[in-house]
Amino acid sequence: MTVNNMADPRRPNKIFRYKPPNTETNPTLEDPTPDYMNLLGMIFSMCGLMLKLKWCAWIAVYCSFISFANSRSSEDTKQMMSSFIISDISSTQRNPQM
Amino acid sequence: AIVKHLLCIVRLHQGGRYNDDFDDGEDIAEFDDNDFAEFEDVSEDPAVDVEKEPPPRAAPSSTPIEDDEDEATVENEDGQDEFEDADAQDQDMYSKYDNEEFEGYEKTNPSFKNTLIYREVPAHLQNSWESYYMEILMVTGLLAYIMNYIIGKNKNSRLAQAWFNSHRELLESNFALVGDDGTSKEATSTGKLNQENEHIYNLWCSGRVCCEGMLIQLKFLKRQDLLNVLARMMRPACDQVQVKVTLNDEDMDTFVFAVGSRKAMARLQKEMQDLSEFCGDKPKSGAKYGVPESLSILSEMGEVTDGVMDNKMVHYLTSHAEKIESIHFSDQFSGPKVMQEEGQPLKLPETKKTLLFTFNVPGMGNTSPKDMDSLLPLMNMVIYSIDKVRKLRLNREGKQKADRNRARVEENFLKQTHTQRQEAAQTRREEKKRAEKERIMNEEDPDRQRRLEEAAQRREQKKLEKKQMKMKQIKVKAM
Repeated sequence: MTVNNMADPRRPNKIFRYKPPNTETNPTLEDPTPDYMNLLGMIFSMCGLMLKLKWCAWIAVYCSFISFANSRSSEDTKQMMSSFIISDISSTQRNPQM
Repeated sequence: AIVKHLLCIVRLHQGGRYNDDFDDGEDIAEFDDNDFAEFEDVSEDPAVDVEKEPPPRAAPSSTPIEDDEDEATVENEDGQDEFEDADAQDQDMYSKYDNEEFEGYEKTNPSFKNTLIYREVPAHLQNSWESYYMEILMVTGLLAYIMNYIIGKNKNSRLAQAWFNSHRELLESNFALVGDDGTSKEATSTGKLNQENEHIYNLWCSGRVCCEGMLIQLKFLKRQDLLNVLARMMRPACDQVQVKVTLNDEDMDTFVFAVGSRKAMARLQKEMQDLSEFCGDKPKSGAKYGVPESLSILSEMGEVTDGVMDNKMVHYLTSHAEKIESIHFSDQFSGPKVMQEEGQPLKLPETKKTLLFTFNVPGMGNTSPKDMDSLLPLMNMVIYSIDKVRKLRLNREGKQKADRNRARVEENFLKQTHTQRQEAAQTRREEKKRAEKERIMNEEDPDRQRRLEEAAQRREQKKLEKKQMKMKQIKVKAM
């Protein structure tokens, strides 16, 4: 059965605009991964900076990468860049004991 | 020779310590005299020897010291000062000890010139590749992650485009508006997918009889995230296409129905608000209706199942059973159950007449763009379902049952929230009273204050009287 046999089902007068689904009412639809990874990245980069642990800083870099890969396109790229840079800077510190 | 050099090291360390305490040379000499008083008894002859020997001995011994110094200056900046000062003192101290220590070893003097001990430089002071192995490892990991990100992103993008290319014609012949992101002023078809993410693509279609609109979500696997890729090696998953058709009130009669894989049905019955309320029975096997055993059915009443499962539908389901995750028709759709922190929500959740389809893309993760064509018949089924649901009407009995069901659900809900609503009403009343009292207090004019107070009192009195009347009426009725 092809569409040509029936009348054209399209109705231009019945068009509704697209409304992005409201994520506040449906918290289950949101993926929390990028937010968690962002937070972890911040924590690890602060740890690495304060406690002078290089491995902390490297984990922070990884966390920020993962957060970036999983992020939603609507999110602000500035915040992501800032966490990126903080973890990068702390990881490239030359620590004598490491 | 080894003992001598060990002593040298010991003295270097000691020299560092004493460095701060004894700045004057005199003090050092005194210290030496007191500490090594036992050596004072030694006769002058060895002293003569000492004068001769220190120069040749100082020469070979100084070369290791010099080497040390060289190495020290190059590698260990912090310790440099210590070493230098220590060396200056050591030269003096050397001449005092050496002859006593090595009386028996004078023959082996010449050998001192030749023996040089090369000490190992600690790893973190070297300038070679090995000391950076951790960094190299990490950077390699990061590069691998970035490579995977780019490859995964591209693959998802190609899959999405392939899907859209194969479905474009069908959609454009059925909907006036294909593709909309909601931002443009006029409702014109963008003709392309909205990219929400690196792995989620949306398409909104609207402008058709029998429905309000259709939202198609391409939920691909997170190929751009290396962690996810590795996790999927343990636990295989597949890409999904989710189609959500929203209907106007007149497009659908009142019923709730679902069919899908057994696992999915069990899960949905627990998760979905409407399925758990209206389809209380366990999912029935599909075999009763001519579809494969792997599918099971949840339905509000038998009539609904019979109405939905006509020949065409059965044919669709049978030929594409492995691709169907779930199909859910409902006039009371409100999404999954929402977990509230303070007990039940105060209002019934908003419902919308919806048809929800979830399809699995074949390939179990290793999909190629060609696999997208195999989903086309499923989209045909969606269109067919939309038209069918429009025509499907329950008979009188069925309608009554359905209405009763809905009334029952609403009543249950109201009962459960009764106490909450009472409390909420109580708090609201108290708030009002407090606000009024405050207003009265804030009134500057004492006259007006008095009048407002009286008005409030009168109102209170009236309320009390009303209540008493009601109680009396109820009592009379009861009797």
